[in-house]
Amino acid sequence: MKTGTRLLLAAALLLAALTAAYAQDGKITVLNPKGTPPPIPLVPMAPRPASLDDKTVYFVDIKYEGGASLLRAIMDWFSKNMPSTKLVFREKAGTFEQEDTELWAEIKQKADAVILAVGH
Amino acid sequence: MAVSIEKMGKPAVAITTNKFIEVARTRAKKSGMPNARLVFVPHPVSGKTAAQHLAMVAGKDPATGNPVTQEIVDALSKPLTAEDQKTGFVESKPVPRLIAPETPENLMRIFQASGWTDYLPIVLPTEQKVSDMLKGTSHSPDEVVGKMASGPFEPWQFTVEKVAVNAVMAGAKPDYFPTILAIASSGISSLSNSPDSLVGAVVVNGPVREEIGMNFEIGAMGPFSHATATIGRAWTLISKNLGNAGIVGETYTGSQGNSLNFNNIVIAENEARSPWTPLSVQKGFKPGESVVSIFGGLGIQPGQGAKRGGATGKPAFDQQFSSILDAFTGYFGALIVCDPLVAKGLKAQGYDTKQKLSDWLQKNTQITVADYKEESFVGQFDAPRANKGIEPYASWFQLPASSRIPRFAAASDIDIVVTGGETLAVFQAGNLKYVTSVAVDKWR
Repeated sequence: MKTGTRLLLAAALLLAALTAAYAQDGKITVLNPKGTPPPIPLVPMAPRPASLDDKTVYFVDIKYEGGASLLRAIMDWFSKNMPSTKLVFREKAGTFEQEDTELWAEIKQKADAVILAVGH
Repeated sequence: MAVSIEKMGKPAVAITTNKFIEVARTRAKKSGMPNARLVFVPHPVSGKTAAQHLAMVAGKDPATGNPVTQEIVDALSKPLTAEDQKTGFVESKPVPRLIAPETPENLMRIFQASGWTDYLPIVLPTEQKVSDMLKGTSHSPDEVVGKMASGPFEPWQFTVEKVAVNAVMAGAKPDYFPTILAIASSGISSLSNSPDSLVGAVVVNGPVREEIGMNFEIGAMGPFSHATATIGRAWTLISKNLGNAGIVGETYTGSQGNSLNFNNIVIAENEARSPWTPLSVQKGFKPGESVVSIFGGLGIQPGQGAKRGGATGKPAFDQQFSSILDAFTGYFGALIVCDPLVAKGLKAQGYDTKQKLSDWLQKNTQITVADYKEESFVGQFDAPRANKGIEPYASWFQLPASSRIPRFAAASDIDIVVTGGETLAVFQAGNLKYVTSVAVDKWR
């Protein structure tokens, strides 16, 4: 038998063996339907003051239902329990998903900390 | 928002309700700040009195059991840990291209348990089947189709091959693949993360409808066309698997869910029997181009709910439409789906274009300013626009409470399509907003 023919026969026998093995264990290979999440860079958090005494805290309502009233309730607690903390209430402009660059600029300049209420 | 403020060097804490614990934590992680400070109060906050809010603040955080006020103060003044100050990347495991070999029965279980299906049996995406699906387009398998997210999350990017995998799972044929790619490339998820249980709709125009056997006659919007059924289903699977939508409690918070999400609202316009211009041409495409137009919103309902309405045309259909639209929220716009009999009746009434009908509906579907200001979407979306001086909202907010204003800000918020088999003069109307249109032909 020529070498080429031998090789062809060996390949055919191997394929038959593999097919038989598959037929026996019945396993198949499929593709993964899930996409790849984007790489998300870690953002280090801002340093905290030792206390909120004598600090300015902004209370920002992002305009979801009930958020403003909830913030007012928190401000009420602060005014009674942390009277040296200055409290500033602001409504965020734009929809609840939009950044308010003007307010953020004010916060960057004047706030020591921020409380945001989402409500819902 | 809290992450944006932290990036400015200011400590921030976000307060939300305990119904959204997983959503908030997921959002924090996907914003790059897994330890962003979050404080929770009992759900719901909306609809409660000021006294009830005071009680919530005086009470405990349901997530931790600690006093809410202590949590807030700690969030803003307790020293950070090393974890809080880490840089680098949020860890995510690479997604393997292939699943380890398994029996078909086990793979079905794996796919369902992994959240990759709609809980109905799928067609397993073998390499052969995916390869066959890829023959439906000239685009290469590793070409990026687009990006998608179900809400305010970082969008996921996906390739032609990934869309093909999900199209196979839906049971679609390769001939449908360009239409499915067009929908995927819009980047619009059919599964919004909104608690409103929103739905997606797609209107198909052009020759592709007939090429792939979409139904626009009797039963147009029902389970009577393989193409209609599987294209809609593919959009849901793509939204789940490639847009990371539908993870209940994290990227899906629809309170009741919506049965239309299984394969969405899929409409092939009956262009031949319509007396009007096809939707795609209205949106700027040429006649004869195959196009998909995407809508999203609250759902769709039969026109028989119209006040004094029915299939007899008395009162006239324009008034019936207006009656249904009167119950809609202007935020989402309207999509009216007419049977050709209704469309022809309206044309005989004098509406020789869709535009004339949209104009009439916009002008004659009204709401008082008082009722308008009570609507929830108005507070969240229109009020900020009014504050910025954007019209017509700025003017509306200045009017007396009893004044009547259009429910929809513009006639372009009201779209009309024609489909159906003319067995009865009926219509459906959806509180659905037009989002975008995409050419199918570029994906052939």
